[in-house]
Amino acid sequence: MEQNSTPIEPVIRGEGINFAFGQGELRKQILFDVQLQIQPGEIVLLTGPSGSGKTTLLTLIAGLRTLQEGRLEVLGHSLSNASEADLLTLRRKIGFIFQAHNLLPYLTALQNVQVMFDLHPEVSAKDGRDRAIAMLNQVGLGERLNYAVARLSGGQKQRVAIARALVGSPQIVLADEPTAALDGTSGREVVNLLQALAREHKRPILMVTHDARVLDIADRIIEMQDGRLVTDSASLHRVKQPYSKETGDERHLAAVTV
Amino acid sequence: MSQRIPLAWLQLKHEKMKLFAAVAGVMVSVVLMWMQLGLMNALFASAVVFHGSLDGELAVIHSQYEHLLHSKAYSSRLLYRLCGSPEVASVSAISAALVEWKNPWNGEMRSMQCYGIETDKSCLNLPGLAEQLHRLRNTDEFLYDKLARPRFGDVVGAHEHRELVEPEINRRKMKLAGTIDLGASFGVDGNLLVSHANFLRLFPARKSGAIDVGVVKLQPGTDVEEAREHFQSMLGKEVKVLTRKQYADVELAYWKSATPIGIVFSAGTAVGFFIGFIVVYQILYTDVSNHLPHYATMKAMGFSTRYLYRLIIEQSVQLAVLGFVPGTILAALLYAVLRKLTQLPLIVEPTRGVALAVVTVLMCVFSGMLAVRKLNSADPADVF
Repeated sequence: MEQNSTPIEPVIRGEGINFAFGQGELRKQILFDVQLQIQPGEIVLLTGPSGSGKTTLLTLIAGLRTLQEGRLEVLGHSLSNASEADLLTLRRKIGFIFQAHNLLPYLTALQNVQVMFDLHPEVSAKDGRDRAIAMLNQVGLGERLNYAVARLSGGQKQRVAIARALVGSPQIVLADEPTAALDGTSGREVVNLLQALAREHKRPILMVTHDARVLDIADRIIEMQDGRLVTDSASLHRVKQPYSKETGDERHLAAVTV
Repeated sequence: MSQRIPLAWLQLKHEKMKLFAAVAGVMVSVVLMWMQLGLMNALFASAVVFHGSLDGELAVIHSQYEHLLHSKAYSSRLLYRLCGSPEVASVSAISAALVEWKNPWNGEMRSMQCYGIETDKSCLNLPGLAEQLHRLRNTDEFLYDKLARPRFGDVVGAHEHRELVEPEINRRKMKLAGTIDLGASFGVDGNLLVSHANFLRLFPARKSGAIDVGVVKLQPGTDVEEAREHFQSMLGKEVKVLTRKQYADVELAYWKSATPIGIVFSAGTAVGFFIGFIVVYQILYTDVSNHLPHYATMKAMGFSTRYLYRLIIEQSVQLAVLGFVPGTILAALLYAVLRKLTQLPLIVEPTRGVALAVVTVLMCVFSGMLAVRKLNSADPADVF
């Protein structure tokens, strides 16, 4: 339905998202009437105290939970009543970066990246390997291709995870606190790397974080509190023009929902 | 080097101890199945060694014949009627009965199967028999079964040292002339061969001309089944004319129905199967449980449940192969030891090997399919 896309077609468009865990008396609502849009190429940080619903929102966008109420479109896939197969197709277009790197411990750095091409049978094994090596070179691990995961430092593991997330040329990167398990310096390096690669490949990033040290990489920072978007600030560096209207909308919405 | 990542194998071999335990489990199961099936088949095979060695295409037995130890004799005149048929090359007769063997060293009495055979033509295809046939023509001489159980005394050792062995058989002093290979079986611990004349000396009450098995050798190129039918109609209902294979089947059918051997060993084989099944299931199940976070991560990244199913099934096949090969080698070694101890014809048959390999793979794949259900509890939403 979104195929007649103009350059400003958002990669994520959500409206009136409500989400609750549990049933009946145990029902606990996590998200309240959430509205957001993310444009191509944008780096958006989603911050807020723990329990504010950031991660839940991220899992909804990733197609890992079933949408209960509202509308959510990600990369042109409508997530209302999406089948498991649709969600799988969507997830293959997303690059995931997790809090704890989540690499497969029984594989080497290279194998961890290379295995992603099992999702892309159209890529030959040789091409896959070449692209995985190139990607690891880009994250500065060209010397450690055949290291077992256990022999890499925390920052190196997270860099492998970045390479793994980006090697399949995803249309969006979803990152969940990628710096949480890292010290300040490695955290900074990882975020800079992520930013540089995203810019280079014009990939949008939606990153959940409450690491105040990395906020400066964002084009936009969305803050959540108690399941609602409270502020949506166009940030420090270059603000992109085309979506100023949408940001306005979201401010308006935030005002309504708070 | 530019192959897809062998993910299943890399995961399987990551934890060496667990891999070892799983392979050992499959191995035990494979060895058990080999042993049970091997013993069962060896026991049955041992019962028809005699039948297989008959030097002729057709066997003629009494119509009330049950098994070799309980055969019913018929008149050789009936058998020799076949001599005139143009399809027949030769006809020979075998008598069979149990004798009492007195161990010449300790005096213990033991039963043995004794065959009376013809000495002027071959009726049994046994290595070395033809060269020794002339010795049987001497009064009271016999050939001894080298594969007989040791309880009859060290006859073979004494013979090799050229000592004179003169045991009492049916209270008659006999003389050892040589040895042949026949083998112990269900009912008998060993065999003796004598001439028809000496057979009658051992069984004075037996009518001369009473025989138990007739052996018919056909002219080359004769249609065996046609000849069998023809002879059956010629000889009438008192006897049965059978091919060698049919005759062996009569014997096997008796032992299969009269003894619980088939059931016992089939049950044993099933136990082996279930041991392997449970072990592999346990190992794969805990393995899937331990790897749940990884599977959840992979599901989140877009790997389908089917991809992960295949991963686990692949691992179960790998376990099957890894367990089957050493299991079979171990079974072959055990066979060799048991062959020595029991004289049973235990052999690693290729066809049975193929069947067991298939069974082993099935066993592992079934366990894999059961363990795979645990995958459903890998919730990709938990990885964030």
